[in-house]
Amino acid sequence: MSKKRIKVCIVIPSYNEEAVIGDVIDGVMNIFKKSAYDFDIVCIDDGSRDKTASIAQKHGAIVIRHILNIGAGGATATGLSYAQQSGYDVAATMDADGQHAPEDVLKGVKILIKDDADLIIGSRLITTEGMSRVKIIGNKGLSFVTYILFGINSTDSQSGLRIFSRKALVSLRWKTSGYEFCSEMLWRAKQQKMKISEYSIQAIYTEYSKAKGQNNWNGINIVKSLLRRRVEEMFE
Amino acid sequence: MRYIILVLLNLPVILLALVNIVIQYKMKKMSARRFQHQIILWIVTLIVLVSSFPIYNYAIGNSLFDSSELSLFDIAQTTVIIYMVYSFNNQRRRIEQNEKMIRDLHQEISIRLAGK
Repeated sequence: MSKKRIKVCIVIPSYNEEAVIGDVIDGVMNIFKKSAYDFDIVCIDDGSRDKTASIAQKHGAIVIRHILNIGAGGATATGLSYAQQSGYDVAATMDADGQHAPEDVLKGVKILIKDDADLIIGSRLITTEGMSRVKIIGNKGLSFVTYILFGINSTDSQSGLRIFSRKALVSLRWKTSGYEFCSEMLWRAKQQKMKISEYSIQAIYTEYSKAKGQNNWNGINIVKSLLRRRVEEMFE
Repeated sequence: MRYIILVLLNLPVILLALVNIVIQYKMKKMSARRFQHQIILWIVTLIVLVSSFPIYNYAIGNSLFDSSELSLFDIAQTTVIIYMVYSFNNQRRRIEQNEKMIRDLHQEISIRLAGK
C-alpha cells in the first residue's frame, strides 16, 4: 500500500511585486517538484495596483486577491486560513521580494516533519551574511523587544520564512494586521504551548529587496503596536 | 515635587504623540500641512505643561482657586472625566470588535472568490 504523501502549501503574501513574483514562484516550483511532497503555491495578492496577481497565476500559483490592502499580517492570515480549510498538512510562508532561497523553504519543511514541531522560524540572524548593519540592528532590536514583552527568545522574530504544522494551522490566530504580527504570532504560539524552534537560513538582498524592505521608522511603529497590544491584553 | 510628578506623568504622552506624528509624516501617511498643525498643537501643549507651575503659582497668589468645599464645578468635572474614561474604553472595544469582523469577512470573501 502506498504511503500518503504530505501536502504542503507555500503561502506568498505579496503587494505590488510584479517585478519579481514570477521568478520567486518558478524558484519554489523547481525545488518542490524534485521533493517527495505534494505541494501548491498560494499567492495572496494584498490589494496590489500592478500585475502581481495575473503574473502569479501565469506562473502556476493559486491566487487569492484581497480587495483592500490590509497588511502583511492580514495577508498571511488569509493564506494560512486557506491552507487550513483546504486540508494541507504543512504550510510555509515566505517573502515575495526574493529575499528567501526556495531551498531554505524545503529545508524548513523537512525539519518541521522530522522534529515534529508546530512552528519553525527561518532565522537570518544566526549567520548575518549579506545583511546590512542597519538591518541587523533593527531586527535584533525587534527580537529584543519581543523577548522583553512576551518572553520569547528568538534570534529573528521578524523573519517571514516560517513553517507551520497542521496543529498550528488549526489553532494559531493573531489580532494585528501589519508587520507586528510576526512577534504576536510567536506570542500566541507560546500561549498555546506549541513547540517552536528555528533554523538558519540565508538572506538574499538585492537592490530590489533592499528598496522594498521595511525601514527603521516602521520598526518604531511595530514596537508601539506590540506595546499597546501587550498593555491592552492585561485589561482584557 | 508634585510639579515634577505632573510633568513626568504627562511628558511621555506628549513625546509619544510627537514621535507618532513624525513617523506618520516620514511614512507619507500625513500631509505637510497636517504635520505642521499637529506639531504646533503638541508643542503648545508641551509649553503649557512645562509652564504650569508658574501659572499655578500666579493663580494661587491671586486667589483664583479659592474654594472652601467641593464646588459644583468639581463634581461635574470629576463626573465628566469618569464618563470619558468609561466611554473611551467602550469605544476602543467596539472598534476592535469591528476591525476583527471586517478582517475575518474580508479574508473569507477573498478565499471564496478565489475558489470560483
